[in-house]
Amino acid sequence: MADTGLRLIFGDAHLGVSGDGFEYLFSYGNGGLESLSRNGKEWLFRVPQPALWRALTDNDRGNGFHRRSGIWLSADAFPVPKGCTVWRDGEEIPLPIPPENNRYSENETASGIKLCFGFETIISPSPKIFISYTVSADGSILINARYEGAKGLPELPVFGVRFIMPTPAAACEYEGLSGETYPDRMAGGIKGTYAITDFTPEKYLKVQEYGMHMETERVKITRNRTLNNADPRPDEEFSLVFSREDEPFAFTCIPYTPEELESATHPEELPLPRRTVFTVYGAVRGVGGIDSWGADVSEPYHVSGEGEIGFSFRILPQE
Amino acid sequence: MANHRAVPGIEWLDDASIFRVNGLEAHSDHRFFADEAEASKGESSFEKLLNGEWLFRYSECAGKRPADFYLLTPEEAEKNFDRIMVPRHIEIAGYDRINYVNTLYPWEGHIFRRPLDKDGNAVLTGSFAKASYNPVGSYIKIFDLPEEMTGNDIRVRFEGVEQAYFLWLNGTFVGYSEDSFTPHEFDLTPYIREKENVLAVEVHKRSTAAFLEDQDFFRFFGIFRDVKLIATPKLHIEDLDLRATLEEDCESGFLTASLKLRGSAKGARIAAILRDAEGRVISESTKEVGRTESFRISFVLTKVKKWSHRDPYLYELSLFVYDEDGLLEVVPWKTGFRRIEVKDRIVYLNGERLRICGVNRHEWNPESGRVIGDEEMRKDIEIFKRNHINAVRTCHYPDKLPWYGFCDEAGIYMMAETNMESHGSWQGPGGISTSWNVPGKNPEYSSAVLDRAKSNYEWLKNHVSILFWSLGNESFIGPGIEAMNRFFKEQDDGRLTHYEGVWGDRSFEDTVSDLESRMYAKPKEIREYLSNAPKKPFILCEFMHCMGNSLGGFGEYMELFDEFEGFVGGFIWDYIDQAISREDPVSGRKVFCYGGDFDDRVTDYEFSGNGIVFADRTEKPAMQEVRYYYGRYGA
Repeated sequence: MADTGLRLIFGDAHLGVSGDGFEYLFSYGNGGLESLSRNGKEWLFRVPQPALWRALTDNDRGNGFHRRSGIWLSADAFPVPKGCTVWRDGEEIPLPIPPENNRYSENETASGIKLCFGFETIISPSPKIFISYTVSADGSILINARYEGAKGLPELPVFGVRFIMPTPAAACEYEGLSGETYPDRMAGGIKGTYAITDFTPEKYLKVQEYGMHMETERVKITRNRTLNNADPRPDEEFSLVFSREDEPFAFTCIPYTPEELESATHPEELPLPRRTVFTVYGAVRGVGGIDSWGADVSEPYHVSGEGEIGFSFRILPQE
Repeated sequence: MANHRAVPGIEWLDDASIFRVNGLEAHSDHRFFADEAEASKGESSFEKLLNGEWLFRYSECAGKRPADFYLLTPEEAEKNFDRIMVPRHIEIAGYDRINYVNTLYPWEGHIFRRPLDKDGNAVLTGSFAKASYNPVGSYIKIFDLPEEMTGNDIRVRFEGVEQAYFLWLNGTFVGYSEDSFTPHEFDLTPYIREKENVLAVEVHKRSTAAFLEDQDFFRFFGIFRDVKLIATPKLHIEDLDLRATLEEDCESGFLTASLKLRGSAKGARIAAILRDAEGRVISESTKEVGRTESFRISFVLTKVKKWSHRDPYLYELSLFVYDEDGLLEVVPWKTGFRRIEVKDRIVYLNGERLRICGVNRHEWNPESGRVIGDEEMRKDIEIFKRNHINAVRTCHYPDKLPWYGFCDEAGIYMMAETNMESHGSWQGPGGISTSWNVPGKNPEYSSAVLDRAKSNYEWLKNHVSILFWSLGNESFIGPGIEAMNRFFKEQDDGRLTHYEGVWGDRSFEDTVSDLESRMYAKPKEIREYLSNAPKKPFILCEFMHCMGNSLGGFGEYMELFDEFEGFVGGFIWDYIDQAISREDPVSGRKVFCYGGDFDDRVTDYEFSGNGIVFADRTEKPAMQEVRYYYGRYGA
């Protein structure tokens, strides 16, 4: 394998992309990056999905946000992968599934590869969502997410890309604002580098959205467990770094999906923490605070479901 | 109200005109000591806490209570009664169901009750005394009179009992009281003996007082604050009215101590020593006590150090009461000089514009409910200081007495609220319906709330931290509330009065509340008021409802400080989540429970969790926003 290139495996259902110390598998059927392996350590439990829901806050319930925008909960829970486009060295190629992929050999390489996965939702009209992955020879992955709304769609709670990692994070170090911040509650955040080691949900009486970090430059997630029964270095710590591309991003790094948070009336009803749910957001609704029985979040902190949202970030190559 | 009755009546529970029987008049909360050594340790030989294990019997209703229990001998009582800790809520002790409900009365859907008939007259239906469910706690404490107290007048002080209680000592009826959050004292001197006194307290969960105590909180009953036995020497400072005035130049001060004396002594004189915070004697004075029961000492100071949040500088006045044989008692009191005033609809403290960066605070501990100690108060002051919270509103009842002293010391501006909240009597699901609002125009309920205002004032008047007297919360508006305001203004102590409900009838605008107070007004509405020839300075008695993950848009309120000099600021709703710690039988973990978690109905579920700290006093993530803005505007 050439040192300067990516090795490509044109499987029947997956495109394998590998290089020095990394191997990525993209699934055409499941709509995205099915495996992200660095030095033999797996980073994904399932294919990343568009994030269209965050758990409701008490204020959301109070002002009826769930009644206006609750369809996004089902859209988030049941994404509909729709199509995939592949570019090899900047050139679009026909989708390499059988028999199209018969033309490839065991020695395929490229200096860069890009896959763009389309999504629809189970709601109507459905927005169009695209998540694209551009892999460079050094193993970095540029991720671009795009939301194209439709007239009549209600406001969104968030738009982002959600990664579910197989085991709990041991630490999450980030460069951004101190504490937990939301678009309408971030003046007190102080820029710096911070580490989160306790991922326990906040002790709100009814479990709800928590853990947002706005204006982030970089996040490093460290884990020390894998699901691999034959992991030769089972206790080793290993990390993955997400970095801003054009603009800073927002993220949450918690052990639960929004659906899990949503269904718990008390923290003790949550399942035992066993995954890392890491979500990068390009748009986040504010939490509001005027009252909890009707007042909406201030206008600048709404996220329209009718417009377009685009953002990008990068998974950095192994340090 | 006839204040002296020899025979108690269970029907008082239903009689709104009877709320306090045979009690001593409310007076200042100063402590007194036998000598300076006691005073410096803060341990008075005139006081003995009666807290601890009491004998107890729970009954579902008055009809099933052991009505003659006050006649039991100590042996009979010990044999037949349970044990309960005092102070403690009876529900937390496991006798009655825990329930949280917000505005609706706690009997909603279970019992039909109205305080007034269709003509607005108070009704006497027996709804409380004859209810099949209105629990009773019958308490007995057996105690010996401490030796050092013998020969003195003896009183008992209940600092908090929910919600109506009858008291007997050694088989004789002593008194009755409502108004759960205000201390009440009863003279025991005629009935007390040296050994084996039997103090019997019959506490009823609900009475007509319930219509006035509909606070948005867990609904408890029982003896939930300290019970103290207090001895008074033969000549005693019963009441101290201390006025530390800062003159208009904000430089010179004038201190007047007006005393009400109880008892008499030969050759009596009172010495007063004023010291600064460093303990240096500023001034001294001694005067003979004449035949009158009142006594006054004044000091003029040409240059005083002012008291404020920035520098809560306290002077100490010590009063020494002597008779011909020597010292009878020492009363130390810390006070500060500060000046609060409104000029051109701007509130000034010591000549500087006042910015209230406050919180509403319920007393809370997740293990014990509203039973708290000094530890929680110290922790709260520490959290306030760390996060630049400069003010507190005691929502919606007077707090434990030491809290006011902590706020004096820490420079926390206090809105001292009277125990009144009757939103269940006018806020309906269909909107506002005032047909049976209390106190409203009703004379009985109005006299009850006026008495509450008086008690609030008399107990707390010497606390320098109190800048505002608040009449209560969400009780609509009427002549009863107007009379409370009038009472506070008549005291002429320079403080401002506060009440939010003036919006209900603007004809009360000139006679109720020195401040235009709103709750949860949107920034736009505040701008509208302050931009259109406002009559009063504007304050938010409640804003930023911090339920769950909230406090977004805080900056939109804070920028009003820059836009309008008439914007006084506000009190975040609220300080601490109210939730109850309990072991989860499924996971075995200690968890926070809220309304509905006790099979309690009607309930408002998690609506009691609006704190900027969680129920265990860990700070919510939103606190960093509070710290930022309050640091900028309130520090």
